Amino acid sequence: MSLKESDGNSLEYTLGMLLLRLWLAMRSIQAGIEKYAGTSAGAKPVNIDGAPNDYGLTEATSSKVYSLDNYQGVPAALYDKFKDEPFIPEWGLNLYNIILGPALIILGITLLLGLATRFTLFAMGLLYSSLTFGLILLKQDAGIAWLGTHIIMIVMALALAKYNRFAILKKW
Amino acid sequence: MVNPQSKEPTMDITPSALTRRDFIAKSTIGAGMVLGAPSILKAKEEGSPSDDIRVGFIGCGKQHEVLYNAMVNIPGIHFVAAADIMKDRLGRTFGSIRSRFGTQIKRYLDVEEMLEKEDLDAVFVSTPDFWHAPHTVMALEAGCHVYCEKMMSNTLEGARSMVEAMDRTGRLCQIGHQRRSNPRYLFTLNELFNKYELPGQIVNINGQWNRALSSSQDIVSKPTILPKADILLKAGFDKGADKKLSEEELRHRFLNWRFYKDLSGGPISDLGAHQIDIFNWYLNARPVSVMASGGRSFFRDREHFDNVMCVFDYETPQGNARAFYQVLTTTSAGGGYYESFMGTDATIQISEREAYTKIYKESGVSDEVSAKWDQLVARGVLKKGAAGQAAGGSDEIASYASAPPDEYGLPGGLNKPPHQPHIENFFKAIRGEAKLTCDARHALESEAPIYWVNPAAESKEIINFTDEHLHT
Repeated sequence: MSLKESDGNSLEYTLGMLLLRLWLAMRSIQAGIEKYAGTSAGAKPVNIDGAPNDYGLTEATSSKVYSLDNYQGVPAALYDKFKDEPFIPEWGLNLYNIILGPALIILGITLLLGLATRFTLFAMGLLYSSLTFGLILLKQDAGIAWLGTHIIMIVMALALAKYNRFAILKKW
Repeated sequence: MVNPQSKEPTMDITPSALTRRDFIAKSTIGAGMVLGAPSILKAKEEGSPSDDIRVGFIGCGKQHEVLYNAMVNIPGIHFVAAADIMKDRLGRTFGSIRSRFGTQIKRYLDVEEMLEKEDLDAVFVSTPDFWHAPHTVMALEAGCHVYCEKMMSNTLEGARSMVEAMDRTGRLCQIGHQRRSNPRYLFTLNELFNKYELPGQIVNINGQWNRALSSSQDIVSKPTILPKADILLKAGFDKGADKKLSEEELRHRFLNWRFYKDLSGGPISDLGAHQIDIFNWYLNARPVSVMASGGRSFFRDREHFDNVMCVFDYETPQGNARAFYQVLTTTSAGGGYYESFMGTDATIQISEREAYTKIYKESGVSDEVSAKWDQLVARGVLKKGAAGQAAGGSDEIASYASAPPDEYGLPGGLNKPPHQPHIENFFKAIRGEAKLTCDARHALESEAPIYWVNPAAESKEIINFTDEHLHT
């Protein structure tokens, strides 16, 4: 059965659309949350004969933590490279750095909940396109291809939009 | 004043008149004191503000920053005042303390004025070497406990005057040989050397501090923030000069006092003192002689040698041993800085930096010794590293080359700034909870031979130590 022939109630397209929504939402939300991730370094006493040593010798420990203070929208290594790009003004880079993380999280949540799914998918596509633009400047072909797959999935989701179910706001 | 060493505590202070300062003194000097009543003991509970040690700084330069940053996480300190002849440095210290602790310290351009006006328990002396002794003696006599940076003084007489003042005043005087409180150094000495005797007979010691040319350049600063000539003259920065110095020359001496003979002991004292101290501490012995060579090989205009090499001879209970030490200010290659104790069974190379610390077990040790090492690894006393790998290759002369040693490591490290444990020890000693790990007398016993390296290098003659050279 082709898309054209379907009546909008086809179970396989409905499930396909649901999977695309879930995948793209998860990808977007977690990518945004990861921008708040950091490492907490600590230390624990070294055991000798099964008990903590008397000297205060320690071994380093580290754990991943999330905090608002850790936020870095554009990864530091890329940020420094973008600063040298004539096509990217510094004020624009700063603004992008501020909004990227929250934008990914918000778009991911709206997609997951099904709030204006088509506009959300379009906005998400624009966001990934903007990321692609940056990677083109830095000649990071693998990253460009990776984002390209995201765009293909978004287009697929838009094509299946009429099979969208479990959505809070179907309009738009 | 907090005074755990005092033998003559003042007994006529009534409880009603007891100040916070007197209270701390009374509650730490301990035995038999009437003031050891429950109410007082309660007031001394951990975390109580009345327990705070009131701290002042003498000298606010680079080493002061190292010490300050090493004590910001130690509880129970109240920063009160700082003195320096340079306003800009005082401002930085003031700003650092205010932004971190929200308290404002008093700033002084004159040390004597600070000691006179402020009620301090302890001061940290991190002024140029030639001021260590006068400032330490001054502070001890003002009733403060003193933490003074090494080298104790630029002269033996100065260092001896510090010991004498410590004894006379009964105050504590800790010298900044911070390795003596470092858990890694203590563990190595107490466990690996003394308890398990891993090195076997120590025959050679090899220490070095190799510093790159880029780290040995003249220090420069904006002239507008530097003290004027009259202040520098008053502070004695013209000491040893054979002519009247211009303001620019005085400022060069102020920033680069380490280059001048009458202001410092030079690289062997700046860098070598820490490490040669470890030779003496670990061997529990003082050298019997020193021979040395040095030169102004690159920095030809500097008064001190830029490169010094020296050999100390020791007589230890195990037999005689030699310690080679080099300080280079023109080359960083060669493994950085460490003290390496080379024994018949093992070499323990220890450094303040974990990366430079290595332990090697000789390949030819007996099965019994090997079994002991395996057991120590199993118990967590040692970490097993890489097994010795023969380099091989066509250039190997098999009959001469020794089999490579196996590598081991210390079981753990230090998760604090390197100076912090030494400062913690100082504060604990003030509270009567610990003994100083490096009081002025022990420091001088260890430092005294170092004062003779430069003269030995100048004269190109072996100096055989007598009591006259080394007495404290």
